[in-house]
Amino acid sequence: MNPITFRLKQEPTVTLEAEVITPDRMLEMSRAEIAASTLYHGKRQRRLDEFFEIDGERSDHLILHGDLTRVRHLGRAMTRGSLTVQGDVGMHLGAQMKGGKIEVFGNASDWLGAEMLGGEILVHGAAGQQVGAAYRGSMAGMRGGLIVIDGAAGIEVGMRMRRGTIVIGGRVRDFAGLEMKGGTIVLQQGAEIRTGAWMRRGTIISLQPLQLMPTFAASGSFNPTFVAVYSNHLRQHGIDLPYRAEAGRYERFVGDRAIPGKGEILIWRENAA
Amino acid sequence: MGGKVTCTLGEVKNRADFIVYWGGNPAECHPRHFTKYTLMQKSKFLPRGRKDRTVVMVDIRETKSVKAADIFLQVRPGKDFELMTILRAMVKDQEVSDEQIAETGLTREQLTDLIARMKGARFGVMFFGMGLSMTRGKHMNSAALLTLAAEMNAFTKFVAMPMRGHGNVTGADVIMRWQTGYPFGISFNRGYPRYNPGEFSTVDVLVRGDTDCAFIIGADPGATMPQPAIDHLAKIPTIVLDPHVTHTSRLARVHITTAPAGIAAPGTGYRMDEIPMPLRPALESPYPSDEEVVRRIKEAIAAKPDWMGQQPQMLLSQI
Repeated sequence: MNPITFRLKQEPTVTLEAEVITPDRMLEMSRAEIAASTLYHGKRQRRLDEFFEIDGERSDHLILHGDLTRVRHLGRAMTRGSLTVQGDVGMHLGAQMKGGKIEVFGNASDWLGAEMLGGEILVHGAAGQQVGAAYRGSMAGMRGGLIVIDGAAGIEVGMRMRRGTIVIGGRVRDFAGLEMKGGTIVLQQGAEIRTGAWMRRGTIISLQPLQLMPTFAASGSFNPTFVAVYSNHLRQHGIDLPYRAEAGRYERFVGDRAIPGKGEILIWRENAA
Repeated sequence: MGGKVTCTLGEVKNRADFIVYWGGNPAECHPRHFTKYTLMQKSKFLPRGRKDRTVVMVDIRETKSVKAADIFLQVRPGKDFELMTILRAMVKDQEVSDEQIAETGLTREQLTDLIARMKGARFGVMFFGMGLSMTRGKHMNSAALLTLAAEMNAFTKFVAMPMRGHGNVTGADVIMRWQTGYPFGISFNRGYPRYNPGEFSTVDVLVRGDTDCAFIIGADPGATMPQPAIDHLAKIPTIVLDPHVTHTSRLARVHITTAPAGIAAPGTGYRMDEIPMPLRPALESPYPSDEEVVRRIKEAIAAKPDWMGQQPQMLLSQI
């Protein structure tokens, strides 16, 4: 199936809400229907072809080009197909998605994959705040799927997440895994302060030393078997997660005792050469 | 999760025998607060007034308010969230090591004493100021204190209240809340209110430049907001309603001078505990009130033909 290509031809002056651009909807649409579908430029309703040049029809593979920093809600609740963004992209990308794959060759913004249920998001750049998080007032954030970010990310990564995996190549800011209830966050370059604050369950793996909350307690060091399984799975995305006892071990910290929670933070400690 | 366990200042005045101020300096910022509501007042439940109350001040430095307190806890700057989290753990009899407590700049004795007093109180109240809500961690610092107050209700009555200032900000929150269900950070672009602070809150919208017009009533963002936000305000058509010439009105396209509310214009102000207070003007002003200006703008817009066309659609499975 040939992909549908969207090329941004007119820069939005305010935010452009484009929840219509998902593989599920585009699969059923002819070229004319795609062109006539509604985007919200601020509060004004605009046709899609006012902002995008469209090439192709009836496909669940979408490719977007251009600076989409102000374009929000792309791939919202998608269940299948793929969405590729060549350039920077705005908030809520892949929020509540259930399946399929999103790939961004640029930077993503806040609420990336918020409350997602399944599928994959790969970002070859940095992301913003609240990656895979729960929306305000909601009890659970991401509940499945995989988010891989090559660059850095902002505050509250994986806030209230319940299942699924987030892997971040760069450094993340404060409150990673805030009020986490399950799932796994892998921090390859560590984090700033308050990682795992108020977590109930779930795992945060850091390959760099972390400044921990005072309410976490050391709980020995070991080489958990599940990290080997994760490592094998993540290798296909080019992520090297160490697990061998010859190379080092994971120091385990449990918390957050303020809840009191049973979450764990694993910090990789290489063996002295 | 957030949530607010709160009461009115009248209850504080009559019942609160244990009062914590966290990151605030009421002696200088709310000068009448001590004498009218918290320290000095005698009541049926606290017949000896000040002697029946315990006052704890938590701050990073010794402010003028500390003199009025029984206990002063000097927390290391930027460790408020950690300290409140430790308190939440210790209240539930969870173990925290001495080194971990020492990180916050306090000792175990200070904290066990504080917790014993908190649990022994009949009616505890925690006031928090900008030292908490405007330092690193921001809303999570406030959330930590509100959660601590909520959890203290497993032992005794406890409430928390922000020390608010700057005119009628509480009023703006209260009105937005009963009209839309949300206090701030609301977007109406889809025809119904959506709440997402960080996305729709004023400062973030302005910093990102996601707006092409600004209408400002009774605020001076030009003096308080970060530079990119101010630059954007200068770029777009900004309309200011203010009795005075302000930093914002200098960079605005339109400045409508209005009568100062409470002095020359009547209205309702909300006290920091969300109690509405009628404002009776003492002077007369040649200028219209904010309300009159907004009403006239609304009438002028309503008289124009509808340009929206079809109704906007709801975002499915709405956030």
